[in-house]
Amino acid sequence: MPISRRRFLGWIGAAGVGATFGNSAHAAVNKHYKGYPESFGVLHDTVLCVGCRNCEAGCNKVNELPPPAAPFDDLSVLEHKRRTDTKSYTVVNRYDHAANGGGPTYRKTQCHHCLEPACASVCFVRAFTKTKTGAVVYDASVCVGCRYCMIACPFEIPTYEYDKALSPRIMKCTMCHPRVVKGKLPGCVEACPNEALTFGKRNDLINIARERIRRYPDRYVNHVYGEHEMGGTSWLNISGVPFKHLGMREDLGVTPAPELTAGALGAVPIVVGLWPVLLTGIYAISKRKERIARAEQEQAVAAALTQAREKGEAKLSEALEKAEVKNRTAIEAAVKKALEKVAETQTKEGS
Amino acid sequence: MKKRGSLFGLAGILVMVIIVSIYAIGAQEVMKEPSNTSETRADVITIDTLKGFGVLERPVVVFFHDLHTDALEKKNKDCSTCHLSENDRLSPKFKRLKDTGRQEVMDIYHVDCMACHKEMSTAGEKTGPVEACGECHQEKAEPIASREPMGFDKSLHFRHSKANQDKCELCHHEYDKKAKKLFYAKEKEGSCRYCHMEVTEENRISMRLASHLSCIDCHRKRLAEDKKTAPAKDKIAGPVKCSGCHDPKKRQMIEKVADVPRIKRKQPDIVLIQTDEPETDKRGLALKMNPVPFDHKAHEGHNDTCRVCHHASLDSCSKKCHTLAGSKEGKDVKLERAMHQVGATESCLGCHEINKRDKNCAGCHAFMEKDRKQEDSFCLTCHMQPLQESPEIAEKPEVVAGLLLQSRKAITDTYRDEDIPEKVVIKELVDKYEPVEFPHRRIVHTLLENIKDNKLTNYFHSEKGALCQACHHNSPTAKNPPRCVSCHGKPFDENNLLRPGMKAAYHQQCMGCHKEMDIEKPNAVKCTDCHKERKKPEKDFYGRPL
Repeated sequence: MPISRRRFLGWIGAAGVGATFGNSAHAAVNKHYKGYPESFGVLHDTVLCVGCRNCEAGCNKVNELPPPAAPFDDLSVLEHKRRTDTKSYTVVNRYDHAANGGGPTYRKTQCHHCLEPACASVCFVRAFTKTKTGAVVYDASVCVGCRYCMIACPFEIPTYEYDKALSPRIMKCTMCHPRVVKGKLPGCVEACPNEALTFGKRNDLINIARERIRRYPDRYVNHVYGEHEMGGTSWLNISGVPFKHLGMREDLGVTPAPELTAGALGAVPIVVGLWPVLLTGIYAISKRKERIARAEQEQAVAAALTQAREKGEAKLSEALEKAEVKNRTAIEAAVKKALEKVAETQTKEGS
Repeated sequence: MKKRGSLFGLAGILVMVIIVSIYAIGAQEVMKEPSNTSETRADVITIDTLKGFGVLERPVVVFFHDLHTDALEKKNKDCSTCHLSENDRLSPKFKRLKDTGRQEVMDIYHVDCMACHKEMSTAGEKTGPVEACGECHQEKAEPIASREPMGFDKSLHFRHSKANQDKCELCHHEYDKKAKKLFYAKEKEGSCRYCHMEVTEENRISMRLASHLSCIDCHRKRLAEDKKTAPAKDKIAGPVKCSGCHDPKKRQMIEKVADVPRIKRKQPDIVLIQTDEPETDKRGLALKMNPVPFDHKAHEGHNDTCRVCHHASLDSCSKKCHTLAGSKEGKDVKLERAMHQVGATESCLGCHEINKRDKNCAGCHAFMEKDRKQEDSFCLTCHMQPLQESPEIAEKPEVVAGLLLQSRKAITDTYRDEDIPEKVVIKELVDKYEPVEFPHRRIVHTLLENIKDNKLTNYFHSEKGALCQACHHNSPTAKNPPRCVSCHGKPFDENNLLRPGMKAAYHQQCMGCHKEMDIEKPNAVKCTDCHKERKKPEKDFYGRPL
């Protein structure tokens, strides 16, 4: 079946309309992923956190990480803001609010274990998996070291072993997935002396957080960080000061990272699939135009020739006819004359 | 036909471009708020008078008042250089008494401001803008205003009444609606703010205008007298510059009287708080709670102004506004809420709740749920059972209230020392550290010592063992309360989501209380301040040396 121009433009139009309205139709069905049911998480209550760094020590121990530069009971490291690195999956930072008349607040930072992780969505070898326990785990065996995950993470958590020449890995908190599946607590939670870290089902943690806020409205900011941030995270925070004062981003929005890029990435197959069709179509249209033009030209030439020939023929036949008539008339006249002559002669002879 | 075809093609490409860019927009980062660190001043006045005459052609002018007052003072000029007087009072407006018209007002500023600036400029003195419009009419004005509201606490009130020999009529007045004039009503004095509101209304000027007109005018006159008579150190005139009242640093320099005598307005010492509504309904059923005997004099001492409680007027709360059923005048706040609303500083419980933030109270009270349901009998603490008194006394509410107050026992009651364990050894969780020796009796004594002078606290802890309830919570008061381990066990119990485990229960209670009470030692992050490092055994379980 040859592609007609009309049909081709129809396809293009349909593809355009489909791509434009596809997303809103998707939102209209209220599709919202709320994480694996019964998955676990950790609630960090910064009001209860005293900044003892026991969680760092616990993490270091259970994950068999290299010994730290400064011992874990050395609290002078809190003078500077630190971030997670390849040798520490979690760090505690101190945030001073002396200007606002408040004491210091401590916040532990680590992977937030997003319900729909940005790291997993950018990884083209699927090295990251959101497990049913709630943990986002990493598989070094398939990792190609592109570090897209480090760029994608809104919390700047994954780190890369730049110092390893042969088998560098991405290093980040695993929410102690191997321990959790065995029924043990994550290392940091187990080490916390004050239950500033609570381990439990994410749904229960949200209830606990809400209840603490309800009971002590003047001790907490009325927000559970991570309930909706980036589409929700398994790690939750509650605090007595606005989260931006704890170095936490408040501009992340509630859309999961994959959803932000799914549209643009979803458009790639359309674009990639559509360009050849589009270009072929345009080529075909121009080819067809040429072909039609040529045919029309040929036809016109042929018509002109026929016309000319017909004209010539008509002229000739006319001339011939004319000549014939002339001849005939002449013959007839001659015959008539001869006949008249004969008749005259006969009349003369008879009389 | 041909043309239409290529148009469709273009449209198709355009659609693709738009789709891709729509998604790309979603990935952009939201801009961060810029931080503000500019200089702040208390004397920032925005000149925007012309707003009253229509849309402004140029940006408003930000004017530093004190800068100009200081400059004039150096030249021995006073307020009248810029402000005209009417009936011996300065107009707050610049070089005019009224805003007569757009052009007139504009001309006053342009001619008079510029004249002075130019004069000083030709004399070679440092002065304000003289040429370009944009020097005064700036798009983005700096610095930022840091004006703090002045407030008039009882110390300041006392200093004013003392300086003016208790002539209350110098400031206080009422308004006679018929005669349309002000008059003074003795012992009816109230806060200025009862009448003078945020904005000027029909027959009363705004609080801002009223205070600036009256305060500054009086201060100015006193200043002029001071200059004539008193030596510099005896000058008593109040501030006339913006910063004197509104600058946070200058405000701290205002003298505070330590023990302020009571305001002399014949206010009651003791009140029996009850509603103005009838005691029983038509059927003769009781409508009200027991009345509350209230020590007005004692409460005066704990508050800075009358407005803390009497927030809208000095009339009875329940007469017009906070009736039993609520009324429109009282914004439908019922009497019950007006007295009990936690979070409202005007209510009894609201204020008492704020008192619990004191470090001597917060150690226990910070961990109590804010709007928990109290036992019904708790109401009787304030709504005391009526005394059996003679009918003639019953008709005198203040006498009844006085008797009720006398019958109160404001002493924190607790158990005898020998019933309070001296030391409690906490050994349930021994692992890395030795058992903790908890100085139980010493802590009880410290808590008692901290609150012994607080009448409010003592009255509310007069039930035996009430003080113990902070730590020994969620069980009735008893000499031998249940042990912690009866409730607290392993952490993260799914059936008891909000109950901390044993270790956290101890740590949260001890460290939380220490933090609220500003106790620095033992340090919350130094384990060995409470726990002794456990001696490692020299031999292992099998007797082999380690």
